[in-house]
Amino acid sequence: MNASTAHKRYVPARDVAIVATAQTPCSRSYADTEPSMIMRCVNSLLDDTGLQRSDLEFTIAGSCDYLSGMPFAFVSNIDGVGAWPPVYESHVEMDAAWALHEAWLRLQLGDIDVAIVIGSGKSSPGRPREVYALQTDPYTMAPLGLDTISLAGIQGRALLDAHVATEADFAEVVSRSRRSALANPNAQVARDDTIDALLAEPYFSAPLRRHDLPPISDGAAAVIIAAGDRARAITDGSTVGFSRPVWIRGMDHRIESHHPGLRDLTQSPSTERAAIEAGVHEGGIDVAELMVNYSPEEIVLRRALGFPSLATDDTDINPSGGPLAGHPVMATGLVRVIEVANRIGAGTAHRGVAHASSGPCLQQNLVCVLEGDR
Amino acid sequence: MTHARLEFPYTRTTGPVIGALLTAIRDGRIVGSRIGGRVLCPPMEYDPVTADALVGGEPELVEIGPGGTVGPWTWVAHPTPKHPFDHPFAFALITLDGADTALVHAVDAGSIDAMTTGMRVQAQFAAEPRGAITDLWFVPEGHESPSGREPHGGDTPPVTSTEHLISLEITEPLLAHRVRFAQGLLDGKIIGQRSSASGMVFVPGRGYDNLERVLLTEADDVVCSDRGSVSAFTVITPVQYYGQQETEPYIRASILLDGADQALIGVDIRDIPVAEFRVGMRVQAVWRPEGERDVSELDNRWGGIWEHVIERWQPTGEPDADPRALEKYSF
Amino acid sequence: MARPCAVVGIGQTKYAKRLDVSLDGLVRIAALRALEDAGMTFADIDAIVIGKAPDALEGVMMPELSLADALGAVGKPIHRVHTAGSVGASTAITGVTLVESGRYDRVLVVCYEKQSEGNATWALSGGRSGGQGAGGSFAPWIRSYIQRSGAPEHIGWKVAVKDRLNALKNPYAHLHLPDISIEKVRESPMLWDPLHFLESCPSSDGAAAIVLACEDVARKAPQPPAWVIAHAKRTEFSSFPGRDTVRIVAGIDCAEALYRKAGITNPIEQIDCAELYVPFSWYEPMWLEGHLICPEGDGWKLTDAGDTEIGGRFPVNMSGGVLSSNAIGASGLIRCLEAANQVRGTAGDYQVDGARVALGHAYGGAAQYFAMWIVANELNPTYK
Repeated sequence: MNASTAHKRYVPARDVAIVATAQTPCSRSYADTEPSMIMRCVNSLLDDTGLQRSDLEFTIAGSCDYLSGMPFAFVSNIDGVGAWPPVYESHVEMDAAWALHEAWLRLQLGDIDVAIVIGSGKSSPGRPREVYALQTDPYTMAPLGLDTISLAGIQGRALLDAHVATEADFAEVVSRSRRSALANPNAQVARDDTIDALLAEPYFSAPLRRHDLPPISDGAAAVIIAAGDRARAITDGSTVGFSRPVWIRGMDHRIESHHPGLRDLTQSPSTERAAIEAGVHEGGIDVAELMVNYSPEEIVLRRALGFPSLATDDTDINPSGGPLAGHPVMATGLVRVIEVANRIGAGTAHRGVAHASSGPCLQQNLVCVLEGDR
Repeated sequence: MTHARLEFPYTRTTGPVIGALLTAIRDGRIVGSRIGGRVLCPPMEYDPVTADALVGGEPELVEIGPGGTVGPWTWVAHPTPKHPFDHPFAFALITLDGADTALVHAVDAGSIDAMTTGMRVQAQFAAEPRGAITDLWFVPEGHESPSGREPHGGDTPPVTSTEHLISLEITEPLLAHRVRFAQGLLDGKIIGQRSSASGMVFVPGRGYDNLERVLLTEADDVVCSDRGSVSAFTVITPVQYYGQQETEPYIRASILLDGADQALIGVDIRDIPVAEFRVGMRVQAVWRPEGERDVSELDNRWGGIWEHVIERWQPTGEPDADPRALEKYSF
Repeated sequence: MARPCAVVGIGQTKYAKRLDVSLDGLVRIAALRALEDAGMTFADIDAIVIGKAPDALEGVMMPELSLADALGAVGKPIHRVHTAGSVGASTAITGVTLVESGRYDRVLVVCYEKQSEGNATWALSGGRSGGQGAGGSFAPWIRSYIQRSGAPEHIGWKVAVKDRLNALKNPYAHLHLPDISIEKVRESPMLWDPLHFLESCPSSDGAAAIVLACEDVARKAPQPPAWVIAHAKRTEFSSFPGRDTVRIVAGIDCAEALYRKAGITNPIEQIDCAELYVPFSWYEPMWLEGHLICPEGDGWKLTDAGDTEIGGRFPVNMSGGVLSSNAIGASGLIRCLEAANQVRGTAGDYQVDGARVALGHAYGGAAQYFAMWIVANELNPTYK
């Protein structure tokens, strides 16, 4: 790690809060265009806040052309975002949680106060398993069709081999996630499965069973963030949206080597470092939403985040069901932020952690700490 | 359902280090790079810890394998068409003998029962190598295939590029507004959508009005005129690329239908001479006979498939429309 | 509040069909040169920003993942920007905002394209037969500009010759055409009327990189800092009824916001030179007008009078521009870093004498994405 950033964690000069959130339900095949999914989210946010499109001073979206199989698909997504009159806008080909990170830092400049962050993905038209193999090293991995499911299977096996987890632990993650999802109207997979029933299922990519994988989902999500008094003004007296700002107390992301052979797959040092930089351990955690695309990842992430030992005993992990209950790729990480923010915004939680990841075997990780006013 | 395929044979130049690995594999050997006291496989062009350039520029390559030890692995019970085998196999982290780091690769073990962490495997090399990582795979020790090639000296030039055919299948239902648009074409009608929010007529309808950010429904459908004015055009001299079927120059035009606010774009014009074609020209669709109109290639992505339903666009002979007024309806 | 940010390191590869390197090797050439220029190593960098678009040009999805090791990003943040042809300038601007925010002191920005691995016309056609290419999309708008402005047809040829003559002074440029002439351009095949082959950009492989730093670091840097005194981005829809595709509102808005931030009231007098994204010759006069550098209808007159040549009143694309090197994903960053080269006085044979304030610009998509910055040799420049 770089000595120049290791000393003191970054605390933003300006308080920035999430003031409204929106998401479409996750669905196996959303019967409309990606711009229309985005448009629904944007309009919902404007309705909830009473803001006009022109009040949103910076716009940033995350999506991936390869999902829809059309180069420059992100350009037509602008139709849903809104860009007339012209807007100050950017786009990342990353999960929209990274777009949120950019927007959060952008508001630190002080010249603008309000931004919208959007994530969207339609995985249904393609074959995500084949598509995601194109993320891997183009010389030694991608030509093998090395897919993220297989790599997650290797990571699961690494946990078993190191006696860090058992297959029953994987099943426990799935069982709990799907049961939690019963209370989530946006979930795609929600059911009450016993661990024994799950363990009786055949392997898909041993040691993973099909339920250890996320569903294939279409979906979009968006948030509005605002600085300081502007955030208070937007949430003050809001009858449909948040009753209080959900402050972003810290956020950080880190990446690891792309080569699995250069990593210890039972650990996530990038999550550990991001958690420290985001200030996870500086207070109690009521709720955590982790981007657990494959059930073994929860084991790795809990270790990296220090759960449950450092968190209060009643930390609620993935109360939405997490990605195992709905995986709107490119928005999945932002939905984790939204699920935490919604609970704080509604006053049912005070401080929480959201996590997002990108790349095979949790190669890249982002951690965000959210908190409400007392 | 609509189907599309995004396919391209990418040619990747390898640089000296990956090139050396692929050359070695072609010749029935495996190499790693010795960097900082460790032997890495796959070999790297730089220091994996600091990312600094290597002293002397290039790494010391050392031969490793062909035997190795399996670390964590997964059993791929349902291979994809992109995998190296069409039957179940394992992906595994394999530490080759003489290497300090593991390579991810495929083990053709026959059965999951043959797989254990710590097992020994042997490299196999393709009889007809193509200079790619897929020239290599692994089998459990003692299961070497007799067809596996013996190492040879490498009398052919080194591998400097490797080809990777990427082919993605896209399948989705035709969306509701596109179904209605398609039915209209079969009926000899061009269906657009009028937004009551902006008053604009979009054609083909996209299910929304991007100006006012409102979703449009079947109630907003309108039948548009099949007569209009050329608002822009390009004479294309086709560039040859993978999948390109065009060889001769042709015109691609935008046509603003009467009463519409958005032009049809990418309309193929083959039978009006280039010298006569101009912005402002009035044209009328000449439909293919009912029963010969084909909408099977219509998908959710692209504007239209005009040539499959409309035989040609015929000049009407009317006086030209004002080209300047059409400029803002070119795209 | 926004902290000052400066370019303290610049690195480029030779632009060409680069059959000698991997993607890792390509981006590392530029990154290591930028670090060396800044007197740094990867260990000094706090965060990396990488940009290119679209992924289909090389068939590598989310390349920040597979290039993380090569860019020294392991253990650090790496952020991926993905706008259209403007992506290089967008990436530079994202890097600047990360420094201005106070979060990072030293940011490495890297952009690249290896067009030779795939085919740009294929990718821009969505992988379909019958694609019209970027030139085919822009040609009707160029014809509209010519009709509106009354520009004579030789203007496009002049730009094509000027940029290729400038490129002869830039060792990194892809095209070195010493015998370029108006006649050669005019006689080259017509690709998309009115654009001839020699009025179009080449397909290049290449990478570009900059190191951005906060004020403390910049003041101690080995090279003179190029202070980023303003940046702006604007986007509009590619298609909507009534869209003016010649005098583009997003381009005007972007320029207005940029000049306002920089305190510039008379761009042609107060900016010493510009690197504009001109992939097809006619976009030089179109952007001179479309970014308010001169009044509507006057852009071609500047070109015709030789005002945009090195030594002219408002030099444009001193490095040879996109017409001489087009590694698409990097092209916008190259415009930005060449503007920085001018105000640092490190532009070598294509240096504009006394350049103090320079403009870097890129556009993309259906001429709908704009990203621009102004760099200066002083943090608080005084204008003429």
